Amino acid sequence: MPLWWPLLLAALLFAIGVYGVLARRNAVLVLMGVELMLNAVNLNLVAFDAYFRDVLHAGQTFALFTIVIAAAEIGLALAIVLMVFRTHGHVEVDRLRSLADESAHTPAPEAAAPGAAAGREANR
Amino acid sequence: MTAVLLLLVALPFVCAGLVLLVGHRGDAAGKGVAVGGSLLGLGAVLVVALSRLGEASPVGQVYADTVGFGPPIELALRVDQLAAVVLLLAWVVAALVQVYSLGYLAEDPRYPSYAALVLIFTGAMSLVVLADDLWLLLIGWELMGACSYFLIAHHWELREARAGAVKAFLMTRLADLGLLFAIIALGQRFDSYRISTVLEQVSAGSFARDELWLPAVLVVVAVVGKSAQFPLHTWLPDAMPGPTPISALIHAATMVAAGVYLVARLQPLFEVAVSARNLLAVLAAVTMLLAALRALVATDLKRLLAWSTVSQLAYMFGALAVGAWSAGVLHLLAHGAFKALLFLAAGSVVHAVGSTSMAEMGGLREKIPDTFVTMTIGLAALAGVVPLVGFFTKDAVIGGMWEARGEHQVWPWLAWVLLASAVLTAVVTAAYCMRAWLLVFFGRPHPHAEQAHESPWTMRAPLYLLAAPTAFGGLVLLAPGLFGPLAPADEELVHGAVSVVMTLLVMAAAAGTVWLWRRGAGTDPWAEAGLRIRPPHIPVDRAYDLAVVRPIGWLARGARGGDRDVIEAYVDGAAATARGTGRLLRLAQNGNVQGYLMVVVVGAALLAVLAGAVA
Repeated sequence: MPLWWPLLLAALLFAIGVYGVLARRNAVLVLMGVELMLNAVNLNLVAFDAYFRDVLHAGQTFALFTIVIAAAEIGLALAIVLMVFRTHGHVEVDRLRSLADESAHTPAPEAAAPGAAAGREANR
Repeated sequence: MTAVLLLLVALPFVCAGLVLLVGHRGDAAGKGVAVGGSLLGLGAVLVVALSRLGEASPVGQVYADTVGFGPPIELALRVDQLAAVVLLLAWVVAALVQVYSLGYLAEDPRYPSYAALVLIFTGAMSLVVLADDLWLLLIGWELMGACSYFLIAHHWELREARAGAVKAFLMTRLADLGLLFAIIALGQRFDSYRISTVLEQVSAGSFARDELWLPAVLVVVAVVGKSAQFPLHTWLPDAMPGPTPISALIHAATMVAAGVYLVARLQPLFEVAVSARNLLAVLAAVTMLLAALRALVATDLKRLLAWSTVSQLAYMFGALAVGAWSAGVLHLLAHGAFKALLFLAAGSVVHAVGSTSMAEMGGLREKIPDTFVTMTIGLAALAGVVPLVGFFTKDAVIGGMWEARGEHQVWPWLAWVLLASAVLTAVVTAAYCMRAWLLVFFGRPHPHAEQAHESPWTMRAPLYLLAAPTAFGGLVLLAPGLFGPLAPADEELVHGAVSVVMTLLVMAAAAGTVWLWRRGAGTDPWAEAGLRIRPPHIPVDRAYDLAVVRPIGWLARGARGGDRDVIEAYVDGAAATARGTGRLLRLAQNGNVQGYLMVVVVGAALLAVLAGAVA
């Protein structure tokens, strides 16, 4: 089997995953996008491992690691999603804006006038 | 004995620390430590001083020294006859001032810091007097300047007090540079900072005329500032807003006395430096008459006394300049006694009346009898009335000047000028003493003076204690060996003809003042008699203002403008730039996690493309 078959598949999977993370609104589907990206990487690792006939099978070992980490990550993330649903009543990612810098999107209280007075104000 | 010397220097500083520590806990503790420490020091001084008088040899010890580059700087103390008597004067006055302050500053909330500073002041004077190392002397000298600054500014709410303190500090500090450079010059020349070693070498070596003029002239500069001689004489009268006991301390025992002491101590140096003696004589001749004339027209009792101090100090410098060494030192001691008495008595008058202006006094003779008696003795001593101490020492000074005419101690014409100035000053002194006496104690009582009351005993006791040496101190002249080998053996201290002439002149001046006063029906003798006495007003303050104060003011304004308009503009610009950039960057912080991720992905993709393009 030529190397580029699994690589193309992995690239497609990764692109779908990126699209899912960036574009889906539902947090669970975003997590699925993350999983797709992780598994695309796994596919790459295994493909290269087979291609190079690595005696230590480092690629397969790494893939195993990735699977374990992905399992832990999805467990944690789903717990967060559950908490978000309990507190907010929804899991829509683009409506969760509590980390936004409030003042940046409201008019500034004072104009930044250069000069001695403003400088001293800022120093306090 | 040497341990006592060290104790004398250390004790005041330890007591000052204690006063500051316990002073705020309770009234009695601070006062007890302050007065107790002063009296203990006085006891130690008596032990040291009484054994040093007469022909005793000096005692000294080097306690520690530095090892390093150049001649060593040593913690060396030494006491000889001169040091002993000046030490005695300083501690007697300081102890009496402490006792007096119990009454004078009874209600003052700043008593602890005041008492501590008086103790430090005394300790600094002890250091100056006892130091056998020039640097040690400089430390004491500078400490006194700092203490006088703090004490003059005791009532720092008053603008005049602050201004007077700053003026005193700046003028004396400027002159102190002279002492610093003199020390360096002496150390370079003699490879030692020990005063005794340097003076021995000066006396033993044969120097060309004026070979050592530089250190001597520098010492004169230092002394002119410290002892308020022309042209740095204006700080002393302006220091009068300070508490009156402080004036007594500064004028009699410490500060200004240190200048005279330094010249007396470095007498061998002045013996070989004719130009320095000439300079000193010129300054003394100008100062004594100028200051006496200012005192003649003063309307403020304390300023009058301050001007008289300036004038009397000039007497001492005149005597030292023409080689009348014992007369100068004796006049220092006598002046210390009667000027401390006068200031403490003036403080008692001010305490009674509540004002320092002589226009608001008058007729106080019966209200404050104790003050009247003691102040009369003091003023009579200042004027030079026959049996009192001022008479003897002043005549010794004038007699010394009379004998110096032909001795080429100074230029002959200068000796004549000095003599004429001294005689004229004595006449003026008698006139202003009589005027002050009449204005304060006689005539119609001012409304303010009606409720005058006598001061508490803590203030009256020092007056009587100081009146005793003022009245009987003249007997000291009968023991000319008091200073031992330091005093020139051939110096005559009692001059019959001079005494008679001076007494007649003083009597004439006093009688003239009384006559003018009677004619003016009991008010200011000059004004009512139609006399317009305008002493020559040498505008030194104005000159300093034009030459120093204003240029420095311009410089300061320029520096402040440069700081505000140039340097601060850069700082403000940097701040504004950072703030503007931050405001732009904050727009990206909208809380949309997917938006952030989009930036990350696009950025990574761009980096990948860039890396590919470069590779």
